[in-house]
Amino acid sequence: MTVSTTSIVRPRRTDRRVGRTLRSSPTAILSLTWLIGLIAASLTAPLWLPYGPLEQDLKAVLQGPSAAHLLGTDELGRDLLSRIVTAAAPTMLVALLTPVVGIGVSIPLTLWAARSRLVEAVMNRVSEIVLSLPGMVIIMAVIAAVGTNMVVVMAIFGLLLFGALYRVFFGQSTSLHRQLFVEAAAVDGVRPMLASLRHVLPNMSTTVIVQFVLIFGVGIGMQAGLAFIGLGPQPPEPTWGGMIQAASKFIFQQPWMMVPTGGVLALTIIAANGLADVLSGGAAKPPPLISLRRRRTPVAESSAPAQEVAERELSIENLVIGVDDGPELVTGVSLRVQPGTVMGLVGESGCGKSVTSYALLGLLAPGLSVRSGRIRWGGADLARADEPALQRVRGLEIAFISQEPTRALDPMFTIEWQLAATVRRLRKVGRREARSIAAQLLTDVGIVDVPRVLKSHPHQISGGMAQRVAIALALAGTPSLLIADEPTTALDVTVQAEILDLLRSLVAERSMSVILVTHDLGVVADICDQVSVMYAGQIVESGSVRDVLLRPEHPYTMALLAADPHTIAELDSAGRLASIPGQVPAPGSWPSGCRFADRCRFAGLECRVTISLDPRAAGEGGVRCIRRDEVRGRQEEWRTPVGAGGRS
Amino acid sequence: MLSFIVKRIVFAILTLVVASAVAFILVHLSGSTPGGVALGQSATPEQVHDYNVAMGWYDPWIVQYANWVGQVLHGDLGVSLIDGRSIADDIGKRLPVTAALAVFGTLLSAVLGIAMGVAAAVRGGVVDRAITVVSGILLSLPAFWVGVLLVFVFSVKGRMLPATGFVPFQNDPASWARSLVLPVLTIALTAAAGIARQTRASMAESLTQEHIRMLRAVGTPTSRIIYVHALRGASLPILASIAIQFIVLFGGSAIIEVLFALPGIGQAMQAAVGNADLPLVQALVLVATLVVVVVNLALELLTLALDPKLRAS
Repeated sequence: MTVSTTSIVRPRRTDRRVGRTLRSSPTAILSLTWLIGLIAASLTAPLWLPYGPLEQDLKAVLQGPSAAHLLGTDELGRDLLSRIVTAAAPTMLVALLTPVVGIGVSIPLTLWAARSRLVEAVMNRVSEIVLSLPGMVIIMAVIAAVGTNMVVVMAIFGLLLFGALYRVFFGQSTSLHRQLFVEAAAVDGVRPMLASLRHVLPNMSTTVIVQFVLIFGVGIGMQAGLAFIGLGPQPPEPTWGGMIQAASKFIFQQPWMMVPTGGVLALTIIAANGLADVLSGGAAKPPPLISLRRRRTPVAESSAPAQEVAERELSIENLVIGVDDGPELVTGVSLRVQPGTVMGLVGESGCGKSVTSYALLGLLAPGLSVRSGRIRWGGADLARADEPALQRVRGLEIAFISQEPTRALDPMFTIEWQLAATVRRLRKVGRREARSIAAQLLTDVGIVDVPRVLKSHPHQISGGMAQRVAIALALAGTPSLLIADEPTTALDVTVQAEILDLLRSLVAERSMSVILVTHDLGVVADICDQVSVMYAGQIVESGSVRDVLLRPEHPYTMALLAADPHTIAELDSAGRLASIPGQVPAPGSWPSGCRFADRCRFAGLECRVTISLDPRAAGEGGVRCIRRDEVRGRQEEWRTPVGAGGRS
Repeated sequence: MLSFIVKRIVFAILTLVVASAVAFILVHLSGSTPGGVALGQSATPEQVHDYNVAMGWYDPWIVQYANWVGQVLHGDLGVSLIDGRSIADDIGKRLPVTAALAVFGTLLSAVLGIAMGVAAAVRGGVVDRAITVVSGILLSLPAFWVGVLLVFVFSVKGRMLPATGFVPFQNDPASWARSLVLPVLTIALTAAAGIARQTRASMAESLTQEHIRMLRAVGTPTSRIIYVHALRGASLPILASIAIQFIVLFGGSAIIEVLFALPGIGQAMQAAVGNADLPLVQALVLVATLVVVVVNLALELLTLALDPKLRAS
């Protein structure tokens, strides 16, 4: 088999990206200017410095800065500026040796190890041993052997960094080796080392450059440190470390002396580290999942009069959720959940259904906030509630279960610990009672082997079991409303049915109400009383499950039904599944008219105007379609393929 | 579990063998000989030669190394070429000084670093940027220069603390503590930055976990989410970075000890290298490696105890 290496797309070239990163960052430009300027100034020092670095003036010792000596003088009246600048080039050029040797040794060994298991095993051991050697102490022992020859010392220091560098490079080089284009090159008959050098190394260049710059800074610090304790180049040769050592001796007489040398040394290392920071993409961090501290962005007052809301009834009115300084994600969603009923919230990914469910408990991600509308829960408006008020609702009145059961429990603690801690807080009971309630809750959610599960950590139980535990956790505070965000999506089909049965029995026994977020109409048919279909941040159809699923009035609902494998048998149709062309448009790029028009086979020119949610033709609820009367009953047409935006 | 521990101990011994061999070779590669160092300038070449022969310096290296290892296993690290004192006794006296420095330095830097890292990860925004910049600068400042600055502030200007010197604990605990304040502060300021960065990254990672949303949804108070759940989730990498700081501090203590005139093992190493006190150099490399190996072993056992997934397997 031959695969052409050129036919397989190589990842973007990193060298060009490095150049762009450097040019666009003021930090990088400043750092490079400082480093290169200092070396240049030092190399040309004899041409422009007024004093030689060893020139003594015993009449002007320990002086502060003056016109004659811009940075002052040392204990022998030598000019500090001359000494600092003269010491710069030797220090910095020798410091380059450390990364050159360290990376020069580590890279070939890493590439080799990434291709051979045997070499990998050996290198892992070697790197671990090298990593366990006390670097500074070994370096001093090296000085005992070779003297203060900095070239040799700093080269050996580079060798000692093999352990750390191997760790940094190995993971990346292994994953690159597994990629297709490298394997293809190997199949092509390119010699393995050559393939590694040609295809893997360029893609590691950013990491290599970052490590190079970092180690360069470390090398400068190491030389200064050694010189400081008298193990560097010997006096009278100027070294930064030696000058700081002298400054520390005369700190009582002339404290100024430590400022210029230390400042230049610190700035040089800061420049190297700053450069590495910019190259590695800065100190980026993943955003937290939820805002821990709510910023009080004022929610716009609603002009519409508040509706009557009963105790334990949820009423969402014209809820608008947006990205701060960005587009809206949910525009004017309204729904009502009566006590003891199940409301399905259905739609494709990216419709805003999960975001809506997070907003109910104030669990929006940082950067998202409710802009206007109301979330009325009994007498309270949760959209405007402050943290303490939400705290009284969370878990006690409204609870939440997540779509990833295995990740919804804290991996570090046992299930008993997590469950009992929550029970203690929500039910205000003692330790012992909390433990027995925790066991009872697990029994309630249908767990058979309760003692074993209690003692388990989350990674030791199955996904279905984890979802039962998560439901038990949600029930700990005996809430009246449960928000279930795709509770069965991550589970096996057989387990899905069990979890749905469990939810159904909870609704029946505890007269809880549930908001079930799902993309699965089978689940809706199975368990829900009411359903709201969402598309692109708004509700397009709502009503009782019977009405919406059997007599859909919105083309999107029809398309979802035709695309649902569960319905094939029931509807006894031609057996062809519909696919809806295109994708849900991204927030911010929604058309001003019907947001589904671009994908709708029934769309016409009249769909370009803003469309309101009007009452259904049959039953309660609403439909957001201007051609509803013409399209009613035509859902079977979705099963014949058609291009996007096709006309009926 | 048991086989894992045995494996780690075997590996630790291997590391010690490598370190001792490296030290042995380096000492023998140096131009100095025991006789030349011990007898000084005034000795005749014959005297030096006789001394070296008596020390076994001309025996094959493998024999010398085996003899040395045999001695070490009997707790005999030899005698100093400079003052003829027992090296084991000397290191025994110096170890508490360096240990106090490293332990207190690590503890203080861990407290500072974790506090900074948590604040940066949780508060974000301006606080995060400020802490990132400050820790970036602290990470770049040479410790000895920071030490000189602190001496200037607290000793020269403030006259609150001694600039240098050391008082043994048994002589006067209060003076002992005062003599350690500036060195420990110097260490903590620079070492905290590294721990802060690790804490910030791990905490930020921890706060993106799905279970944080679940905890929030059952009304868990914010402080409990941060300090019990997120910090516990981030604890392993933070612990590793603290252990690394300890190792770096212990190995790199020479600079701080020379600056503050503390009679620890780093200062002994600096003097031994300067004087070519060959057996002392060898012994100190071994002791420093032993400390690294023991700390690494402790870290691994602690990780094993703290990570439920590892514990189970």
